[in-house]
Amino acid sequence: MSRSSQNTARLTPMVSLGRFGLFILRFIRESIRRPPPPGRTLAEAYAVGVAALPVLIVIAAFVGTNLAIQGYTAFQPIGGQRMVGLFVALTGVREFGPIIAASMVAAKSGTEMASQIAVMRIRDQIDALEVMAVQPHWYLVTPRLLGILLAMPAVTTLSTFTMVSAAYFVSVYQLDLSGATFMEFALSATSPIDLVVSNVKALLFGAVICLVSCYNGFVSAPGPEGVGASTNRAVVLSAVSCVILNYLISEAIY
Amino acid sequence: MLRLTDVHKSFGELVVLDGISLEFQQGLTTAIIGPSGTGKSVLLKHLVGLTHADSGTVECFGVDMARASEREIYSVRRRFGMLFQDGALFDSMSVGENIAFPLVHHEKELSAAQRMERVEQVLEEVELPGFSTRDTTALSGGQRKRVGLARAIIHRPEVVLFDEPNSGLDPMTSDAIDALILRMKERLGVTFIVISHDIVGVMNVADQVGMLHGGHLIAYGPPSELVHNPHPMVRRFLGRNLALPKGTDDPTTLPSLKLHR
Repeated sequence: MSRSSQNTARLTPMVSLGRFGLFILRFIRESIRRPPPPGRTLAEAYAVGVAALPVLIVIAAFVGTNLAIQGYTAFQPIGGQRMVGLFVALTGVREFGPIIAASMVAAKSGTEMASQIAVMRIRDQIDALEVMAVQPHWYLVTPRLLGILLAMPAVTTLSTFTMVSAAYFVSVYQLDLSGATFMEFALSATSPIDLVVSNVKALLFGAVICLVSCYNGFVSAPGPEGVGASTNRAVVLSAVSCVILNYLISEAIY
Repeated sequence: MLRLTDVHKSFGELVVLDGISLEFQQGLTTAIIGPSGTGKSVLLKHLVGLTHADSGTVECFGVDMARASEREIYSVRRRFGMLFQDGALFDSMSVGENIAFPLVHHEKELSAAQRMERVEQVLEEVELPGFSTRDTTALSGGQRKRVGLARAIIHRPEVVLFDEPNSGLDPMTSDAIDALILRMKERLGVTFIVISHDIVGVMNVADQVGMLHGGHLIAYGPPSELVHNPHPMVRRFLGRNLALPKGTDDPTTLPSLKLHR
């Protein structure tokens, strides 16, 4: 464990950013040199997809119910309650679906990545990889990135579907709106390109979560406190990066 | 084969290595001893390119580790095996998978059955037969060291590095690890470099012993010479670690110390 990594917490933001840039460059260089470690990419995809699923479905469903209620509350005074479907579809497909999926994956899989790699760092397992002439960026980051990229579109699509479905049920069975009208407005508000953008966002969020989490694991300070701090930093930075990126993409496209 | 020349290394204000020159002789066991925090592990990390000297040269198998490309460094590392303090085993893998790890990555021509055969062989050598399917988290400290050693030697390295092989072990397990190192040394005939502050263990296994203090190599030679070294730090370190009775300053007179030769 080098002192430089022990002092990471005290580095200035610019130095940290520079090191993160170098980490990404090194990772890209190692990843394009050879195929990923055999058998690990699908395992990582499964872990990302399945690990976040139960909590994702619950949260997406209840965000959907509340979108329907708030949409109804906002539009009802002006007689526009039929537009709940439009409101839910627009916000759900374009914004909430990808960002909720990203939040859940960052909270579940991102923290797991950061803590696993941080523990490997403090237990000399990353040094052991180096001494066994196995490039750690390639061995640890490549399968995780490919796994998350495979899983994120599916997780995001499921998140969006769950959200809109929950909103539909609340609109129809609680708010007494017409199901056909809900669907008509929902479909009129969104186009296939929205689903494409949603999945592009999912891929970018997945890449950000994986790289930020793995980097923070790699530069973990020693001891349980170091692991805790790097895990905490990973989830905070992933979440903040994703919401800023989400704004930038939406601003550029819509 | 492995040579350090005037190596300096600092971490900020802290000078860890201050002009170390040392050549490790092929086929011999060299031990580096010294109090905690004197840069023993840092010295070891220089040999495998895990850290680089601020100045001076570290030459391994004819390769200057500071100037070598990453590919060259990785090529040099394949000639090393290393036992880390806690074994550095991968907890997500079984004992057998841990040991087979270097073969999976560097001897891809081997079939799974051939790999397992090699794993069973080295497990026999480290006296843990039948352990290949065990979970690493269920191993004791001594067993973790043995599995780490099995992993370090499975690819038949030319140099085996031991980072504190006795740390965290009770005296009996510690003796057993020393005995294992001795047997490995006779059987493999390769270069061993041992970092330790367990002076009794070192005296039993080493052909040459160097002592680090304050960034300097203050003593170097066969164990029989080291115990007569007049340097006050050497006397203090040997005396403290061997728990010399009052008035005794010659560790070789102690009945509990059995030198290897």
